[in-house]
Amino acid sequence: MNEMETMDSPVITSLHQGDENEMQSENDLDSITEVEDLVTLPRIERGKERKLLDLPSEDNLNPNHLPVDIQKDDAVVFDASETVNTSEDNAHEDSGEFVVAMLARGTLEEQGVCTKRISSPLSETPLEASSHWDEDVTAESWRQHRKHVFVLSEAGKPIYSRYGSEEALSSTMGVMMALVSFIQSGDNVIRSVYSDEHTVVFMQQGPLVLVSVSSTHQSEQQLRNELLYVYNQIVSMLTQASITRIFEHKKNYDLRRLLAGSEKILDGLLNLVDFDPSFLLSAVHCLPIASSFRDSLSQILQKAITPNLVFSILIAKNQLLTIAQERMVIEDAKLDPADLHLLLNLIGASSAFQAGEIWTPICLPSFNPDCYFYAYISYLDPPECTVCLLLLSTDNEAFYAVAECKRKIEEAMQAQNALTSIAKAQSYSVSQVGVSDLRHFMYKPFDVPDNHHQLTQFTSPEMEAPYDSEEEKMRLLDLYRDVHGRIHNTARPLKLIYHVAARETLLAWVTTKFELYTCFSPLVTKSYAINAITKLLRWVKKEEDRLFIRYPPKYSTTPNASKS
Amino acid sequence: MAESTKKLKKPDVKIVLLGDMNVGKTSLLHRYTERKFKDTVSTVGGAFFLKQWGPYNISIWDTAGREQFHGLGSMYCRGAAAVILTYDTTSWQSYVELEDRFLSLTDTANADCIFAIVGNKADLTDSHAQASNPEGEGQEEAEPARLSLSSSSLQRKQVNREDAIALYGRVLHYKGLDEKACLPAESMCFETSAKTGYNVDVLFETMFDLVVPSILKKRNEGENSTVDLEAPSTGKRTKAGCCA
Repeated sequence: MNEMETMDSPVITSLHQGDENEMQSENDLDSITEVEDLVTLPRIERGKERKLLDLPSEDNLNPNHLPVDIQKDDAVVFDASETVNTSEDNAHEDSGEFVVAMLARGTLEEQGVCTKRISSPLSETPLEASSHWDEDVTAESWRQHRKHVFVLSEAGKPIYSRYGSEEALSSTMGVMMALVSFIQSGDNVIRSVYSDEHTVVFMQQGPLVLVSVSSTHQSEQQLRNELLYVYNQIVSMLTQASITRIFEHKKNYDLRRLLAGSEKILDGLLNLVDFDPSFLLSAVHCLPIASSFRDSLSQILQKAITPNLVFSILIAKNQLLTIAQERMVIEDAKLDPADLHLLLNLIGASSAFQAGEIWTPICLPSFNPDCYFYAYISYLDPPECTVCLLLLSTDNEAFYAVAECKRKIEEAMQAQNALTSIAKAQSYSVSQVGVSDLRHFMYKPFDVPDNHHQLTQFTSPEMEAPYDSEEEKMRLLDLYRDVHGRIHNTARPLKLIYHVAARETLLAWVTTKFELYTCFSPLVTKSYAINAITKLLRWVKKEEDRLFIRYPPKYSTTPNASKS
Repeated sequence: MAESTKKLKKPDVKIVLLGDMNVGKTSLLHRYTERKFKDTVSTVGGAFFLKQWGPYNISIWDTAGREQFHGLGSMYCRGAAAVILTYDTTSWQSYVELEDRFLSLTDTANADCIFAIVGNKADLTDSHAQASNPEGEGQEEAEPARLSLSSSSLQRKQVNREDAIALYGRVLHYKGLDEKACLPAESMCFETSAKTGYNVDVLFETMFDLVVPSILKKRNEGENSTVDLEAPSTGKRTKAGCCA
């Protein structure tokens, strides 16, 4: 029950599904300038001018800013800044909120003391990924992890923990299940628990319960999305149908029996989720290359086909080069960026196999959670292994036929000397945009032609100084996550946020045509930033053929494709 | 290795590695092909490698031990000339699984398929396996070390060589093969360590040598299950009477 101890003031918000659970602290209200109508940019001036420019935003990232009046020895303490606001919010149901005091008190007694934790979210090196299974779960360091993720079965059996072994955490997971079923017995669904330092988000997916315990101050929606990625990664290995079948057959089945060995795939996913904004934006990052070169690569993929081949994907440096798709399949359902992220994560995790060819069943959960595709994975440039070919077929016997496609692709690429050109391709520097004081940005367009039939993409330059260390990178991403969470707040969506922080100024803007997040040096003025964005948009427009896959290629391999 | 896959010649013969998850199938293959031990991530599905052995191309399928990839097991095994059944010497369960789960997958292998039983992770149980012998020693090294428990750093050996030999007998029985006509159990049971390299080369090279006759036989019979439109030069399809 260690994790419960971290909740100094548990407020269990239990709502019917569908209700929006939104909490806005007053700090947040102050720290943003909202514009309801974005058509005329200058109207931004109309918004509230912020006096305290830096402090609140800094606080958002610092867990120690929390009200000091929290009594450490009392389990039932409301965090004033959150709870009061919540109850004042008239969109909120009073009945849906109550406090589970006994559980929390029990935990405190068990622990003896409840020390207020002084933790910096950035104190950890985020890429410590590997073996966490032997970590001491009673140690302070275990509790200080930024984000814990747990997966358990409905029977309370541990399936996965990001840190520490599942066995050692079985009582902790038992408590989580107790919370879930306690709320369930009142015909209700537990969604989240807020304390001053931690947000606990619960998600039930069929027979699995996923729990995120984080001190990252991300929005509940973002954490929920991340849990969905974890669930989908599990589904990609087992399929939803077989998970359901297994638990119908035996309620207390130990799913780790099937997942053993894939912990590293889930660990890798959670690290990517922390460090790769693709997950936040639900969009795919393409490697910028000349459109003529991309077209020629696409043509190579289009020519190397075999019956039942559905997707041909070329990846370099973990970014998409091009993707060719079976015509029938795209007409039915497009490939979701989320599925591609799962595939990319899987490839990254299979690095031990760089010299060989892999043939494996894989489920694309957003495409069809109950069926397998068969994936052929091979690197085209051993031993460097940066360019990876991924071919998905619906025929489980097609290995040799698909391997032959790879041979054709390899030959054609050799003839064009494509590997050398790919090796030269790299992400761009923000300085190429030619806007001074612009440090970084993420741009996700919605107006790409043929949008409905293709992947949502985004473009972003390299993170350069001052965001070149892991810590600074994480800090910038945390800022992005913060504005993203606020702009997409379902209870009160915003269109524009101008956020002045201590060390940078952020401007986020969402329209029907694009979503844009920019980061400027701290001393820019609002009008300067807006001018800069206009220039940036112009630059992206000019470069879009290079930055995005504009016309995803198609092919026909099967007159009557069966998707299984 | 890298070069040989690049050319992608048509494989002449197929060897499959089978065994429960985490017994070290990938590590064994990795030790052999890359000459080093790497902590690998759990294999998904199966991985295909091509090894140039003299004039022949030998394909090796490394499979995932995890249950959910079982569906493809029979595809990996189809037409295999040799199957390497791998267990972990420190895990009795991994030995039991070979018979329970994996043996039935070999139904699709060739009728004259060769079997090898391999106990990996010998470095954990036998002190003489801890010394690296990349040069590949003779068979006398494979003698089981009876005094393995004397050293405190060693784990208890759960599967002994006798168990492996007994399993070999049962495998032949399952396949309906006559023990006398097949290769003797003593030479087909190996204890290896992918970590130190102990016996790894011996294992793979013994297997390669043993499958060569089956390549020759296949060529002589000209029995090619898949139509090969491209390579008329790969073998003189002499319809001469088959030997063996």
